[in-house]
Amino acid sequence: MKRVILILLAAACLTQTQAAEKIRIMATTTDLADIIRVVAGDAAEVSCITTGREDPHTLTAKPSFIVRARDADVWVRVGMELEIGWEPVILREARNKRIRVGMPHHIDASLNVQRLEVPTQSVTRDQGDVHPEGNPHYWLDPLNGRMVAATIAERLVALYPERKADFEKNLHAFERDLDTHMFGAVLAAQCGGEALWRALIEKRLDAFLKGQGASDKAGGWYAALRPHRGKTIVTYHRSWPYLAERFGLKADIQLEPKPGIPPSAKHLAEVIADVESRHAKVILQEPFYNTKAAEFVASKTGARVLVVPTMTGGSPGASNYLGMLDNVIAKLSAAL
Amino acid sequence: MFPCPHTQDVSAHPIFHYMKNTCSRTRALVAGAAFSLSAAWAPAQTGGDARYQKLEDEVRALRQQMTTMQEQHSREMAELKALFQKQAAAPADTPQTPIAQGAAAPATSLYESIKQSAEVLVPQSVDGKNADLDLSVVLDMYFYHDDTSEGVSHLKEHLRGFGHRHDGQEDHHHGSENGFNLRHVELSLSAEVDPYFRAWTTVAVDEDGAEFEEAVLQTTSLPYGLTLSGGKIKSGIGRINRQHSHNWDFWDQPLVYDLFFGAHGLSEKGVQLTWLAPTPFYLLFGTEVFNGDNEHSFSMSDADNMPQHDAPRLYTAFMKTGPDLGPNNALQFGLSALSGRHQVWDEDEDAGADGHARIFGTDFVYKYDAKRSHGEGDFILQGEYFYRDQDLDDPVGAWRDLPAWTMRQDGYYVQGLYGFLPCWRTGLRWDQVGLINDVQNPEEGDISCGDSYRLAAMLDWKLSEFSLLRFQAGHGWYATEDGREDAWECALQWQVTFGEHGAHDF
Repeated sequence: MKRVILILLAAACLTQTQAAEKIRIMATTTDLADIIRVVAGDAAEVSCITTGREDPHTLTAKPSFIVRARDADVWVRVGMELEIGWEPVILREARNKRIRVGMPHHIDASLNVQRLEVPTQSVTRDQGDVHPEGNPHYWLDPLNGRMVAATIAERLVALYPERKADFEKNLHAFERDLDTHMFGAVLAAQCGGEALWRALIEKRLDAFLKGQGASDKAGGWYAALRPHRGKTIVTYHRSWPYLAERFGLKADIQLEPKPGIPPSAKHLAEVIADVESRHAKVILQEPFYNTKAAEFVASKTGARVLVVPTMTGGSPGASNYLGMLDNVIAKLSAAL
Repeated sequence: MFPCPHTQDVSAHPIFHYMKNTCSRTRALVAGAAFSLSAAWAPAQTGGDARYQKLEDEVRALRQQMTTMQEQHSREMAELKALFQKQAAAPADTPQTPIAQGAAAPATSLYESIKQSAEVLVPQSVDGKNADLDLSVVLDMYFYHDDTSEGVSHLKEHLRGFGHRHDGQEDHHHGSENGFNLRHVELSLSAEVDPYFRAWTTVAVDEDGAEFEEAVLQTTSLPYGLTLSGGKIKSGIGRINRQHSHNWDFWDQPLVYDLFFGAHGLSEKGVQLTWLAPTPFYLLFGTEVFNGDNEHSFSMSDADNMPQHDAPRLYTAFMKTGPDLGPNNALQFGLSALSGRHQVWDEDEDAGADGHARIFGTDFVYKYDAKRSHGEGDFILQGEYFYRDQDLDDPVGAWRDLPAWTMRQDGYYVQGLYGFLPCWRTGLRWDQVGLINDVQNPEEGDISCGDSYRLAAMLDWKLSEFSLLRFQAGHGWYATEDGREDAWECALQWQVTFGEHGAHDF
């Protein structure tokens, strides 16, 4: 018995000494983990709960997550109730006061993002799995990815002021990288990422580019999807409104009759009618959902089923956040 | 004079309040100016030209001031209107702060300006929501049928060796009757009490009345991975003991739970201390001190001539551990030990026995996560074993000179579940009690009682997170006091949860 206690104590000391070296950050999803890895750089050791290949709404609060949450210095979540089915158990069982909801070491990445589909009236479960704080799949808008990075950086600077310079340098590198992916290297260099984003969110980017004499210099994701503005895409779950909204696509046809409810035959008949009348050419589907319904609709309408990741790690090409968006947008623009 | 905008759809907008303020401010200024003008005019009529002149100048100055104000106001109004129209036309998520045009560096960064707009758009009440009380209600109903004359629940109460003696009190009956049954309505309330405690209560209401399944106050801020709970607690021993009936994977619980702990499992008044050890793998230790009022294994008789023992009379210890097997697999083992006082009393014989009971248990669960939606492809294998040793070596009344009561018995179950379609699962459970079933009692002496076993197949459909339909059919072979009997039983269960639906434990 004495020996067991000694071993346990030794293990305890070991975990304590590690804490002094690196900030242990635990993120709920792979996208957050990737953004944190970039922003925190060498200062942090980042671990993550999801793999990017599963449905983030339903997950089992495994003992191994509890152990990692126990040791975490900082906890970062997507928020907007995405993790409501498992985060409370992990945080409760981990017994780590610092990372409880509302504490400074608990970062809700949705804090400063631009939200969509925030219900304007009270929500009932008759509507399916509707999140009262809005659609939580906000990371599929690259601008929100940029906001998440800045939100995390801001909090890390507040928590670890001695590393302020590093965090800010890393953040700016990430923002430059993201802006280059979004608008192309030439345009981002000529006009500056922030000015382009401002023009885009105020819906005056075309005029702005004309004013700058840069109409033909657009590249990146923006240029890839610009020719497809106004087109309709079908999606399985409401994972995609943020991407659609940012790039001017319409994504209001879902295979799910209501969020979280698997497709029914009656609903698919309506979807087929909609797909035909609106000439939708693509059915966008998350990798973890069954593709039977999508294939059925595709066979009836000639639309193409496109299985693309919604999260980093969701497919072999999507090993980081920007790579994931690259992957999605390249496939989408090729298919539209 | 300066009409305020009174269109209905704008009145809720923050800009409107600003406009209203500007409006009333201007009004007040104008009224003030008119008043001072009339006050100045009255004495002017009796005075000289110089004063006239002075007054005229003043009037002119005031007029000019008014015109300037008027102009300034209409300019402000126009600006606000333009801004407002832009707000109304643009989607709600564009920032409200006007942003400098062109490539010229704006005063605030993109992050700051979006952050400010996000703060306006997200109502703070959303963050305060977690402070509320969570209320959830579970309705659990089933249609049940078995092919025995007195019911399977009757057989279970008269298994040879396990048949528990009633104290002459009316037993809380939990058997299923052929036909429709309402198991109970489960009401749960939970909340974070303050920075130090969380609390929850679960009340099961059925047609016979209401019963506290749990009423627990738990610390949230103890150091060193410790958590202390107090109240009426579902004990941490075993695996499904902690689960409420709506979390079971089958319609009913395994025989060994029914026989060792009863329909509600081991749920006792007392305290529990658990410690999450600082090891690199999951390792949890727990210990409990309870009154010891479990009718099946740790009960005290009310009879006058039985010795009385003060509570606490039941002590438990448990351990749970599991390695990290990567994203698709999870495994957990558990060990449990319980020790407490137990008595039996036979009213007809006017005799009883007093002594100790000990239970040792082990459990495991393995979960495979196929990473598809709604549980498709997921697999769970789970089993538990319990051994019970009761030594009632202090006989009372008519049993005084007869052999003591001793019982050594065990039971286990193994169950597997597989998600064959999204939202659909099927499962199989093998259930056995009395592999060891050695009983010595004052009347019959040493007897070996034989085992009982049961096989059950289950099919369930989770229509959503909140509703479930389940069909289960099974066949059991029971060693009863009247010889070996077998029985078919089946149940169609429907269960809904409304209100807050808490996250599930592993």
